[in-house]
Formats: sequence, C-alpha cells, structure tokens
Amino acid sequence: MAVNRNENPEDQFIENLSKALRDPLRESRGRMDLSEVSEEDIPDEANDLRRRIETRSSKDQKALVKRLIEKAKILNLKVIALKDTQSVAREICALAQEKTPEWGEQKSLIVWAHPLIEKLNLAKRLAPQDILVYDSAPATDSGEKIKLRNRIAESFIGVTSADYCVADSATVVMKTRPGHARAVSLLPTIHIVVIKQEQIIENFKELYTLLKWDPIEKQEGLTNCMTFITGPSKTADIEATLIHGAHGPREVYLYVITGLF
Amino acid sequence: MTEITTEKYREEAAKGIKNTVLQEALANLQERFGTGTAEGYKNLPEGPALRHLAHDIRINTINNLDIVLKKLAENVRKNGGHVFFAKDGEAAVDYCLQIARRHNVKLAVKGKSMVTEEIGLNSSLAAAGIEVAETDLGEYIIQLFGEHPSHIIAPAIHKTRKEIGRIFAEKLNIPFTDDPPALTQAARKALRKKFLTADMGISGCNLACAETGHITVVSNEGNIRMSSTLPKVHVSFMGMERVTARLEDHNPLLRLLCIGAAAMHMATYVSYIGGPTFPGYGDGPEEFHLVILDNGRTRILADTAFREMLCCIRCAACLNVCPVYGKIGGHAYGYPYSGPVGAVVTPLLVGINRAEHLCQGETLCGACKDACPVNIDIPRMLLELRNKLAEGDSKWQVTPSNLKEKFLYTLWSWLVRDRRVYDLFLRLSLVGQKLFPKKEGMIHRLPFSLKGWTSGRDLKPIADESFTRHWKRAKKI
Repeated sequence: MAVNRNENPEDQFIENLSKALRDPLRESRGRMDLSEVSEEDIPDEANDLRRRIETRSSKDQKALVKRLIEKAKILNLKVIALKDTQSVAREICALAQEKTPEWGEQKSLIVWAHPLIEKLNLAKRLAPQDILVYDSAPATDSGEKIKLRNRIAESFIGVTSADYCVADSATVVMKTRPGHARAVSLLPTIHIVVIKQEQIIENFKELYTLLKWDPIEKQEGLTNCMTFITGPSKTADIEATLIHGAHGPREVYLYVITGLF
Repeated sequence: MTEITTEKYREEAAKGIKNTVLQEALANLQERFGTGTAEGYKNLPEGPALRHLAHDIRINTINNLDIVLKKLAENVRKNGGHVFFAKDGEAAVDYCLQIARRHNVKLAVKGKSMVTEEIGLNSSLAAAGIEVAETDLGEYIIQLFGEHPSHIIAPAIHKTRKEIGRIFAEKLNIPFTDDPPALTQAARKALRKKFLTADMGISGCNLACAETGHITVVSNEGNIRMSSTLPKVHVSFMGMERVTARLEDHNPLLRLLCIGAAAMHMATYVSYIGGPTFPGYGDGPEEFHLVILDNGRTRILADTAFREMLCCIRCAACLNVCPVYGKIGGHAYGYPYSGPVGAVVTPLLVGINRAEHLCQGETLCGACKDACPVNIDIPRMLLELRNKLAEGDSKWQVTPSNLKEKFLYTLWSWLVRDRRVYDLFLRLSLVGQKLFPKKEGMIHRLPFSLKGWTSGRDLKPIADESFTRHWKRAKKI
C-alpha cells in the first residue's frame, strides 16, 4: 500500500535522487564536499597563478595585447591599442560621426557610468556635432528604468568598459553593477569596449582562478549577471552562411589603453 | 506534451535519404563542423587530457547529483531567485503557466532550449493564449514553418534559403528575397520589437554552477541575452543533470562545449545568471525562476549502465560526425533529441520498445565517441539497449523486440554447438541453396525473415567443400 508521507515535493525529488544513487560503490567513492571554501583552501597552483598575473611585466602584457589582436581577427572584432584616453575618445567621436544609426534618425550614444568611460568626456566632445550622449546612471524607480531602457534602445552606439579581457579567445568579461546596465552592450548596433592593458589576462584558467580566489572577486561574487562577449553577434542558421548582427551588436570595437591614462 | 514519432523511424529515415536538399545540407554541415571540431580538439593546449578531465568532472557531479542540486537551489535562492523541482514535464509546464498568469503575460520571448521542446512548453503556453516567440534565428524559421527542429544547434538545417525567403515573404509581409543577410535583417527587425515588448523571457540552461548559484546560457546571436535581460520575468528550464559543483569546472567544460558545438574557441555570448536584478541596477528581470526537471532522468541515474549518458552537455558534436544522422537527418529520430545522443536518450525517456529502431539504426562505428567533448561511450550504451531489446528487461519494462530473431539465434546456437549437427546443416544448406535465385554466381535473394540479408547486397554461396574437409583431404595427399 502506498504510504502518504506528506513530504514536500522538493525533498521527495532529492530523496529520489539519493535513492537512485544508492549503489554499493557510492560509499567507497566518497561524497563530494560542497562546504564553503576558505582562505586556507586555496590550492598552491591557484596562488602561483594569481601571483604570476599580478606581477606580469609590461613586456608580457604587450605580448598579450598582440595575441589578443591576432585572435580577434577571425572573429571580426576590431581591437585597437592606443596610448591614452584622449586618443581613444577621438577615435570614438570619429566613429560616431562616420556611422549611421540603424533604427532611427537621431544619433545618440549610451555609455556606462564608469570612471574610465567618464574620462573620455564624450558628451562634451560630441555636443557640437548634435550627437547626444546618455549615461546609464543607476535607475532606482520603474519610471527611470523605462526611460533608461528607451534611451538604450534608441542609441546606435553603446560604450562600456569590462572587468577582464581573455587574450586567448578575445573575450571581454563584464559583471553587472549599478550604472552598468546590461543592455548597453546588447541593444545598440555598435558596441565599444574600453579597457586598460592590465585588464588583459591570458586564458580562461586565469579568469576562473581570479573569479574564484581573488579576495575582492570572491567578496563581490559573480553578481546577478556576468557576461562573456566574444566578438559581434552572429548566426549561421540560413544554409550555414555566417552573418554578423543577428540580434546583438553587428560591430564590436575593443580599445586597449596601453600607456598612462 | 511533445509529439513522439519514434515508431516511424524507418519511413522517416527513408524519406530523409530521398530528400536531396537535406542530403546536401547535412553533408555540408558535417564537413564543416565535424572536421572543425576534430581540429579544435587537436589545438587544445592541454591535449586529450582535457576531455578526460571533463569526463571525470561530469561523472563525479552526476554521482553526487542529490548534494549538488540541493546546493544549487540553496544558492540560487540566496541570490534572490526562485527554484522549482519538477518531477515531470506537466509539473514544469504548470509552474510556468502559473508565473505567466500571475504576471498577466501576453508575449514570451524564448531562447533555444531542447528541454522545453522535450516538455512541449510552446504548445501549452499557446493553448493558454500566450504568444511564444522563438528567437534563435533557426528556431524562429522553424516556428514560422510550424515544424520541429532537426538538429540540436542548427535547427533549420533542412531548409533552403529559397524556402526561408518564401515563408518570410508570406509571414512577415516583406518582398521576397533569398539573400541570407537580408533575411537575417528582417528577422532581426521583427524580433527586436518582440524583445522590447515581451513580458516573459524563457531560456534553457547550458551548465549551472552549484557553488555560486548561477545558471549559464550560451548563444552566438544574442537572443538569449535579450530574453534574460529585457522582460520583467525570466524563467530558465534545466534538465537536472546540467550542473557543475564548482566554478572552476566551467573552464574545461565551457571551452569543450563551444568546440563540440561549433568548433569555436568560445561562443559569442555566455551569461552567468544568478537571480533577479537589484534595485538601482538599471535593467534585468525583477523575477528569476529556475525549473529543474527530472522527467525520467532519475531512472537513467539509477541504472549504472546508462548513468554515463547524464554527462551529456547537448553540444551536438556527435550529430556532426554520425554517418547515420548524416544520411537520415534529425526528424527520423521522432523526438527532440536526434543523432547518437538521441538514439540513447530518447529510448530511455520515452520507452525502449517504443524507440527500438533508434539504437538499431546506428552503426556502432564509434565516431560519436571520438567526437564527444566529454568522452561519453555512446556505442557501449547502444549495445546495452540492443541487448535489452534482444533479451527483454523487467526493470525497464522491455519485451524482446523480435521473437523470430530470438528464435533463429537460439536455433543457430544449437547448430554450432555440435560438430556433427553443424556438418549436417552445412550439407543440407549446400543442397538447399540451389533453390535461391542467383546473379553472377552470388545468392541474390533469401526468402522470408532472411530477406533483409540480401536486400542491399548479394551473398556468396556456401562452398561445395568446407574448409575442414578440404584441409583433411589436402593433408592426406
């Protein structure tokens, strides 16, 4: 006879799994330990890697920039290394003037509220050209959120920074924070990323090591949305023909500031 | 529920083989992705060891799935998300409908997800009056045609640009064009409107991370980012096996997933989503729900012969090398999962007898095993399934599928066990074979149940003198 144990369905679900896993080998294999990891748990390998990243010489960093440029080529991602924020700002302004908007007439940019992006001073530089520059300042109520959303959707260029850039695959990594709206790197036709040379790391092993073991990273966590972006949006769903700009940005520019800023 | 047509495997396969458009598309797909993936593995800095490591990570997680899923749920909730454990498709669909009703959802935008195909989510939402827009370009095309995907990552592979052009002209009210960039732009425009107005975003989950309480979604188009960023509610569906314990597990697994799926170093977009947005964050959904689905997977977990199949990360690398999939196409498999992965997973989910042709149709050539980014031994499990079909199995409620075959093999085993009986059989056959029609000295047609042996080839007749006899005679001389 069926026994009504009146358990909640979730416990029942997990209990069923435990039952299914109850084979003679399980105990001998030992169960996985999923307790919180602490400072003492850091494997030596991770510590060594962290140290190597922190003490990477500028020569090695330059080599990573070169590698990044190389890897970006096949992705149709344009990587431009420049000395200072001034030159980056000039290039972005030139792009804003040269490119035409995809969805409307008015040219507008949406930019992250981020110290590095603020240094570019885009609003002031583009005002004479009648190009609007909105920033994605923290939105607190739903009215502000709707306004921000509309501005992002209207803008043909979105400018963000990033947390890291993985040279091996030309991937930029960005967490979500107030003022760093997710859609800025998604809805505009052109996405521009500005980073400093030191933010480039070699590969995903380095990335995951930092995300997991760096004290600041660990404290912040991955945030509610961490995104990896590798080149412009693409699709090959029609007769396996590669086309850029499926839903996300059609063009992506990555500016790397190599000197002092 | 999604329609299951595994019984029609033979007819559908025959149709696929005759379809010249499909043949060309499949050959093109396998040529590009199959070889590209193999090349990708060769270029791994860690070498083949990485795939062994990935296999270990996967099986170790599956062996501890109860603990890992509990941790995942705990951490997603800590991040402010909701978690629902669904024992079957119906429970999962009902849960989604409840959320939709609570938020008065009129339009849902959906990222590509095999598990929602498995539970037939779209038709249930449509029945409740909710418009569901598939947003992956391939899925969108298939939805306009009112069909089902025929490949896990290239769902519209069986459609030509002309066919797509015609359906776009009809459904989107645009002038006919068969230019892929123009067609892509038309879909981009139509779907952008939907992204900006949808009240719910639906996605699958490639690999969750228990330690941090995040799911990951991977795409090249950006549609899943849209679906998980713009609408006010995001619901993610995951098969319960799609989880890792630790964050560092994602280093090998994500990279291998991208190589397996599309011979890429890294997909264009990978998002780690761990709950709803916070006040002041500008955008992102206000509610996040994770639906963890069993739907028959616990049964696979309980059988150590098949547990390895739960290591699968649905990259479709095995489809891109399989000589059988490459000829018959995805629809023949009669369920969302096609190719070698489908030949194992589908019978285990829908019933081994019901999907008997799937494992029998595969060749056991082993190409799928070589292509699998996590080294799953698919041929071994195909054999296990065939064994169950031959012998029957009470645990899986399998009845022997072919009694005639079983009878003939029993007879054969008697024949070959006794030298004298076997010799007698040979002598009788020598006479008997004279009755069969011949062509150029070969037997052209065998009768009755044996006719399958000669349907595609001619057989060499039995020699007048057996080797043993010849040997004995030769020695005497």
